[in-house]
Amino acid sequence: MSSRTNGKVVPLENLGELVRDGESVAFGGGWFANHPMAAVRQLIRAGRTGIHAITVVGSVDMDLLAAAGTLGHLSFSMVTLEAFGLAPNVRKGIESGSLPFTEYTGLGLLIGLEAQGRGMPYLPYRGPFGSDIPGRYPEIYATTHCPFTGEQLTAVRALQPDVAIVHALRADAEGNAQWDGTSGPDVEMAKAAKRVIVTCEEVVDRQVIVDNAHMTKLPGYYVDAVIEAPFGAHPTSHVPRYAMDAWELMDYAAAASDPAAIAEYVAQIREETEEGYRARVLKDRDSVLSALVDAAELIEGAQA
Amino acid sequence: MTDYEIHELMTCRVAAEVDNEGVTVMGSFTPLAYASYMLAKLTHAQDAYLVGFDAVGMAPVQLSFTGAEASAYKGAVCRWGMLTEINSIHLANHGGVEAVSSAQFDGSGAINLSAIGPFDAPKVRLPGGAGAAEVIKMYRKMVAYFGNHNPRTLVDKVQFVTGTRWKVGDRSREEAGLQPGPIVVVTNLAVLVKDDDDRPFRIESVHPGVDVQTVVDNTGFELEVPADVPTTAEPTQEQLDLLRNRIDPFGTVKFDFVSGRERLSYLKGILDAEWNRAAARLS
Repeated sequence: MSSRTNGKVVPLENLGELVRDGESVAFGGGWFANHPMAAVRQLIRAGRTGIHAITVVGSVDMDLLAAAGTLGHLSFSMVTLEAFGLAPNVRKGIESGSLPFTEYTGLGLLIGLEAQGRGMPYLPYRGPFGSDIPGRYPEIYATTHCPFTGEQLTAVRALQPDVAIVHALRADAEGNAQWDGTSGPDVEMAKAAKRVIVTCEEVVDRQVIVDNAHMTKLPGYYVDAVIEAPFGAHPTSHVPRYAMDAWELMDYAAAASDPAAIAEYVAQIREETEEGYRARVLKDRDSVLSALVDAAELIEGAQA
Repeated sequence: MTDYEIHELMTCRVAAEVDNEGVTVMGSFTPLAYASYMLAKLTHAQDAYLVGFDAVGMAPVQLSFTGAEASAYKGAVCRWGMLTEINSIHLANHGGVEAVSSAQFDGSGAINLSAIGPFDAPKVRLPGGAGAAEVIKMYRKMVAYFGNHNPRTLVDKVQFVTGTRWKVGDRSREEAGLQPGPIVVVTNLAVLVKDDDDRPFRIESVHPGVDVQTVVDNTGFELEVPADVPTTAEPTQEQLDLLRNRIDPFGTVKFDFVSGRERLSYLKGILDAEWNRAAARLS
């Protein structure tokens, strides 16, 4: 029996029906690694609006959603295009006041997700004392004390996204999902969310998952939908399959700071399918993006 | 004297802070910090325990924009995710050295990676601090580096405190359950150190050719100036050979020191070299 007969496996085209306008959505990945970019593009194609995006270390994913008018709110601890500069559309949205935002400290955001995943209303930690961030958000951060020693601690309220969207290497029809390289905050986001959508490089039979069970980071009972999306993290990386596409990111960064160019970039995505996107952007470059992973070198003879 | 560039001296000075104690999580690909850790690992701190992306206990890697992530995994002993890392390293007091940079830095050790101007309606919205707010407080050593030492970056008081060292002196840190250790600032002009809550940063050394007054004039916060300020050690030929030939043959560290219009073409040059090497593997 093909694993694709299970009801959890849906085509990418259905993604827009799984996420409603105005919902909070946690997007996986971090830095320029493993963001669920095929899903980001599909939400834009579906015309979703008012999305409250949650990201730990966002990059082109958040900037593109901001540029497309998909976002109603942005919760983040960092959004950056790194070598390619600040994220122009996130920056513009916040500076102009058109994009409401919540800035978390990095550990605070992960601990809020962890609290929810553990069924706790909050969790304490030795927080970012002296930071101006907690005082900005009394509905998220509070001061508490250890009941045993009296030590002052920071409490972070549990954070429950309506949806988490994460990109895995592979998953089976039950939603058992595996990562090989960077998983970042994906597992914590999935455990905290009401609904979980896994996009993956390939949908495989259960036996492939069983044969590599040590790589399963998310068991299927968390997962509501599985979507096959090859090169689904592009132009961010999915190690070990492909490196980040720095050339496409450079083009994106150039377009992103020019209102006319970014409008055209978004319009192009809206009018093509994901298959069309791959054909247009990857051309015959997919093999080089994969070869960049192989070409990455350790320093020979050096001690680990 | 060997011929070197300022980013190489800074890389060597940051590397000098890296030792064999604790774990360093590298986060985003920040070339100068990465190069410093690799240099330390190839010279005086071979047992330095490094985490890059989710690759834990990684081997020394060659720097490149597209390959840093993949190479981190190739020699690593473990693959975690962000939450396991923060619970097992940051919150459990295993953090060793953290090198950060920021838009503003002040005399108390506070960094601003959030906003220039009002927080809610900023003149410039900055990227945000990721884990820096917690990390610079908890790690044993805080190292901050700045390629352009001026009073707009090294300010009297940051406009918004994304994070701060909170406690500085060894005793007050230990009383607060934190690892004792200094704040070390490495710039293109000098090295500044603060290890006492009640005293300002002092000039530890000035780089060759830089006079003390230039450092004072370009620092927005009060500095303690010792009677005798030594000169920062220059890179050795061995360090330069390692940096140029083995650690960073593409020149990624220098990218952050290239300004204006040359920046994009410099980046394109690096990326072309990375592309060509990968493409050659296919032919």
